[in-house]
Amino acid sequence: MTRKGFKSLLLLLAAALLLPLCTAPALAAPDARALLKESESRHRTKTQQYSGDLTVVNKEGKVRKKGWNSYRQGYAGDSKNLIRFTDPPEVKGVGFLSLPRPGSDNPDQWLYLPSMKRERRIAPQDRDASFVGTDFNYEDMEEFDHEKYKVALQGEETLDGQPCWVISAIPLEKGSKSIYQKLILYLRKDILYLVREDLIRKGDKEPAKRLVLSDIKNVEGHYVAARMEMTDLKKGSHTTVTLKQISFNRPQPASRFTLQNLTREGGD
Amino acid sequence: MRTLLLLLLLLCLPCAALAEGFSGYAELKGFAYGERFPGEPYGAGWGTLYSKWEQRLAESQFTASLRAEWLTWPQTSPLVFDPADRKLRRPPLSVPELWLRVPLAPSHDLEFGRFQLGWGKTDGYSPADAFLPRDVTDPFADEKLPLWAVRLSGQEENLRYQAVLVPVTTPWRLPPLGTRNAPIASGALPKGTRFQEEDDAPPLPGFAALRLLATHGDWDLGVWARSGVRPAPILEFSLDPALQNGPVPVISVGRRYPREHGVGVEVSRVAGPYVVRGEAAALFSADPELGDALIGTLSVERGFGDGTLLVTLAGNAIDPPVDPTLLFDRGLLPALIVAWNQTEEWGAWKLVWDCGLKRGDGLLKGEVGYNLTDTWKVTVGGDLPYGSERGPLGALHGARRLMAALRRSW
Repeated sequence: MTRKGFKSLLLLLAAALLLPLCTAPALAAPDARALLKESESRHRTKTQQYSGDLTVVNKEGKVRKKGWNSYRQGYAGDSKNLIRFTDPPEVKGVGFLSLPRPGSDNPDQWLYLPSMKRERRIAPQDRDASFVGTDFNYEDMEEFDHEKYKVALQGEETLDGQPCWVISAIPLEKGSKSIYQKLILYLRKDILYLVREDLIRKGDKEPAKRLVLSDIKNVEGHYVAARMEMTDLKKGSHTTVTLKQISFNRPQPASRFTLQNLTREGGD
Repeated sequence: MRTLLLLLLLLCLPCAALAEGFSGYAELKGFAYGERFPGEPYGAGWGTLYSKWEQRLAESQFTASLRAEWLTWPQTSPLVFDPADRKLRRPPLSVPELWLRVPLAPSHDLEFGRFQLGWGKTDGYSPADAFLPRDVTDPFADEKLPLWAVRLSGQEENLRYQAVLVPVTTPWRLPPLGTRNAPIASGALPKGTRFQEEDDAPPLPGFAALRLLATHGDWDLGVWARSGVRPAPILEFSLDPALQNGPVPVISVGRRYPREHGVGVEVSRVAGPYVVRGEAAALFSADPELGDALIGTLSVERGFGDGTLLVTLAGNAIDPPVDPTLLFDRGLLPALIVAWNQTEEWGAWKLVWDCGLKRGDGLLKGEVGYNLTDTWKVTVGGDLPYGSERGPLGALHGARRLMAALRRSW
């Protein structure tokens, strides 16, 4: 199970932080690219840590939960990440370390399994694979990089009483690795934070999945969605992620993002 | 019976977690065997209660765990004090972990107490790891025994080290010889032969080992060396005339533990969606029955959606001086190990095929785990050894079985 969880969680975090797209309300002629650039620059943080809970509810209503602690240093493609599972008992202590590699899109990733007492290098995952039966797959967890998409402002819409910009994003690369042909992003106008994303698979016309970000808080001067819900509109299942004890720009020990630390049982 | 009642009580307790830092599980496991084996039941039951306590002490980490177990077959030893697992039989109470880790510097630690080691890179079979003591009371479960040891480990940039000193030998624990779980008697001795196993104390010194690891780009590299007592015993059979009082022969079985020295290299590389791992080890012993070994392994791992396929090839370039099945960790070599692990929304399942390439024996193993909730899990499966009875897995044909387990974790 494990392997999928870690990367996903990492990417969930990315969804919470990188997708909060902000802009200046004063922009005279909103341009999708400008909005996305502005958002990225405003929401950069040097470090972040939080505790996360993940709840999966399948279409029969069966509920499963997971918990983890996450630490990040750096931002986007240059970030170091450590995730340690805390719950359920059978995955407690499982760790995931991701370190950026200069000049490569793929970071170096290792997994520590307490049952094996050793770390294992892992390969980049299948983008369409879900993790531990949740409604997220690997591509959903990847950091949204607007430069890899052709973006366009589609209009305006009000969601939960909040006016939003609606932006479409189509993979630029021909024959893209993406499993989606289009993403529809909804940005709250006041804080320009992503509050919804509709994901349309290749060959489909209607969204296959919908990500909703809510419980948006201002933590230490940074907006963050403390709750994210991914719904599989075809399967009827949904996965909810809640973030707790969030903090930004707290100095991280240099030894935290090392293989030595990854293999420390009972450690961070 | 009292133990069983205790286990049932714990299984029914609604507690999610007894306290912060405590975790564990209670498990009931049942086996149904496909063949009648003289003097042994068709079924067996194992009950296990495992509790672990983890406590942060400033920058240090303390961990202790206790396992209580009840087996209908094979019998456990009486309730004896066996803190290093040096007795012949599995004790009803054991301490799998009791260790303290003290940081000497931000990336350098000293750890001492009782803990498990996990070395090597290749899955299925690793020469860096295979010599470590196993409890093969259940021959189809790869259960590693913990060691009393001191470990110094650390990292500087991309270089890491581990130095381990094991002052006490924890030997391999074997099933009762002559039973369906012990292949050693298969076909080689007159039917009904009984074994009288001598509970010889293994030697006190254990072994010392050093491992150096480096990471460079897609590559993880390592070298290791170790020297000391080999935890797997050499069995010594003798026919004591004084014991030959009945209709069947009685063979005395003693154990000795030769010294062995080894060096090895390990490598792992990410290649697109694949992870390729390899190891080579040279093992030297002056013991005429153990001899030397030159073991190599190569494994490839690939993820397919929610599943992972792992293929490992392992072999020994030097023929052992005795039947390799008597050398335990080298018994199956050369071998092909294929494993498929799949995660599902409801749980997980796996299929494993261990194939001895020299004698044509092997093991097919299947297991399905269904998560009733996040803390209750049901597992069913089966183990099907097949092929030549002269091979270590084929000899286990009498142990073909179905398994069902219920686990409550907290």
